[in-house]
Amino acid sequence: MMNLIINECAKLFRRPGTIVMLAIIAVLAAGLGGYFKYDEVKHPSQENVHWKKDLQTELKEDRETMASFGKSNQNMKKFYERQIAIKEYRISNDMAPEAEQNVWTFVRDTKGLISIVGVFTIIVAAGMVSSEFSWGTIKLLLIRPTSRVKILLSKYLTLLLFSLMLLSLLFTVSALAGLIFFGLPESSVPHLAFTNGEVVERSIFLQLIGEYLLSSIGMLMLATMAFMISTVFRNSSLAVGISLFLLLMGDMVTKIFAGSFTWAKYVLFANTDLSVYFDGVPLVEGMTFSFSVIMLVVYFLIFQLLAFGVFSKRDVAA
Amino acid sequence: MKTVLSLKNVKKSIKGKPIIKGLSFDVHEGEVFGFLGPNGAGKTTTIRMIVGLMKISEGDIVICGKSIAKDFAGAVGKIGAIVENPEMYKFLTGYQNLLQYARMHKGIQKEKIIEVVELVGLSDKIHDKVHTYSLGMRQRLGLAQSLLHDPKLLILDEPTNGLDPAGIREIRGHLRKLAREQGMSVIVSSHLLSEMELMCDRIAIIQNGELIDVQNINDFVHQDKVSSYVFETGNLGGKEQWLRDKWDAKILDDGFSVDIAREQVPVILRSLIEYDIEIFGIGTANKTLEERFLEVTAN
Ligand SMILES: Nc1ncnc2c1ncn2[C@@H]1O[C@H](COP(=O)(O)OP(=O)(O)OP(=O)(O)O)[C@@H](O)[C@H]1O
Ligand SMILES: [Mg+2]
Repeated sequence: MMNLIINECAKLFRRPGTIVMLAIIAVLAAGLGGYFKYDEVKHPSQENVHWKKDLQTELKEDRETMASFGKSNQNMKKFYERQIAIKEYRISNDMAPEAEQNVWTFVRDTKGLISIVGVFTIIVAAGMVSSEFSWGTIKLLLIRPTSRVKILLSKYLTLLLFSLMLLSLLFTVSALAGLIFFGLPESSVPHLAFTNGEVVERSIFLQLIGEYLLSSIGMLMLATMAFMISTVFRNSSLAVGISLFLLLMGDMVTKIFAGSFTWAKYVLFANTDLSVYFDGVPLVEGMTFSFSVIMLVVYFLIFQLLAFGVFSKRDVAA
Repeated sequence: MKTVLSLKNVKKSIKGKPIIKGLSFDVHEGEVFGFLGPNGAGKTTTIRMIVGLMKISEGDIVICGKSIAKDFAGAVGKIGAIVENPEMYKFLTGYQNLLQYARMHKGIQKEKIIEVVELVGLSDKIHDKVHTYSLGMRQRLGLAQSLLHDPKLLILDEPTNGLDPAGIREIRGHLRKLAREQGMSVIVSSHLLSEMELMCDRIAIIQNGELIDVQNINDFVHQDKVSSYVFETGNLGGKEQWLRDKWDAKILDDGFSVDIAREQVPVILRSLIEYDIEIFGIGTANKTLEERFLEVTAN
């Protein structure tokens, strides 16, 4: 198995395209840091000395909104409960909201670049099996004393490794750029999370790693889908097309449906953002963490069963 | 004689259409076995089933006692193969390509890779990217790949495709040597029939997915008692009609040709002398494999 993964990595990293992907991620993260720094120098942010007063006004508005909407919409109510609890916690513990960029706020900002990681992971996923067919190398690959299941598994594991590598690259370059451009915060700032009706302080570093991983679930599911489509149809453009479309539009479309239909909770994208169960509210009322995890596992299994089923049975006539 | 490969009433249908209609034959240890048939006969399809790229619809294929359907890894581990064109990873060097396959078999050392590269005569270019290779060089790399794990059975689908005459001769030499010295069995499918004649010990002829014949190469070419003889003569002096009627001869510019058994040569000669016809020479024109092949597959 180890040897198979080494083989896949050799094939992946000896292609210039892959190196370009790595470079793009690094350049984007560092470039964003430079741009933010430039922006900060041009429009220096003022320290808000009246932050407590501002929060008080916001709190008042939040309470009013909650009172009027909260009864009809359970999710709204939860959302404002959380907002209020965190703001109150800040006031009573004398913790001002971060006004200045520091390394951690920057690393959180670059989380948005995970969708680029998603795009690259999907492109690689879509090529892994279909290009062996289009190159014709599948014939030499499958006449070895190794089961087809193992070969496909090594490809999928390599895909996960690649994605993890892009993520850690993004995180590391962001942290380095953040340190260089913005430095550490003056006092250590914990992350404030709202769980089980309580506000708790968390290590910001671990919190950010967690956030990166949670934000990657969606793109990993789509990459798995692209992997499946490319295995079943041996067509990488189809796999890239469908998966990228869903990566860009899936969330939005699901949110639109979720407003009117409760079955939207069975849609993949309603379940990909698990962070709502730690720091927010789910899309459809009554959804729970375990529900979403089960849905994700079900989708994952369907994708993998299709991919492995078709791959191990198929007649290779390429 | 040990049997290395055995096909037992192998059938294959694709989308309900029968492509291979019951093939049975054995390949023995150390023989070079030719696989002959016109385009679309089912040679490649049969090879795909032997190496496990396609499932067998009916029947069984056994390699060194192991069924490809039941013990895939055990059976396929004994095979080295090139199926149709030797497609390689173009963005890797020849050596890196070989490393890929070496990692998929147990216990292949660097020395073995180098040895195989030397054997196929690719040492100079092995560290170049494959996209710079000519077809003949890729063919050689394909052969190297199939020899890495010392297979008992080597299957080559049109191995001489793209090689120059010297290359063909060289490969032919390698295959004969591998068969003779290492007892490797080799299956070759080729359209170059004259090639088959020089390379193979036995050949199977298939057509429309059916086995027409399996024969020793010499029997196949010389199997008829009757051969073609060309008589080089002077003026036939009006005996043309007699030659045509009695011997079914074909009159040529400087003589005639005739298909007869060996014993009849003196009979004709005696008559010619009797008729006072000058005779300058007699030659046999053995049928080549090609002619035989066309004859057999014509109907
Ligand atoms: N995937 C497929 N689907 C349908 N028919 C196929 C498929 N593959 C092969 N065939 C048919 O099977 C028959 C045998 O094809 P095959 O490639 O085995 O012939 P071949 O003997 O190797 O020919 P050639 O000398 O041209 O290489 C052909 O009639 C072909 O049309
Ligand atoms: Mg063929």
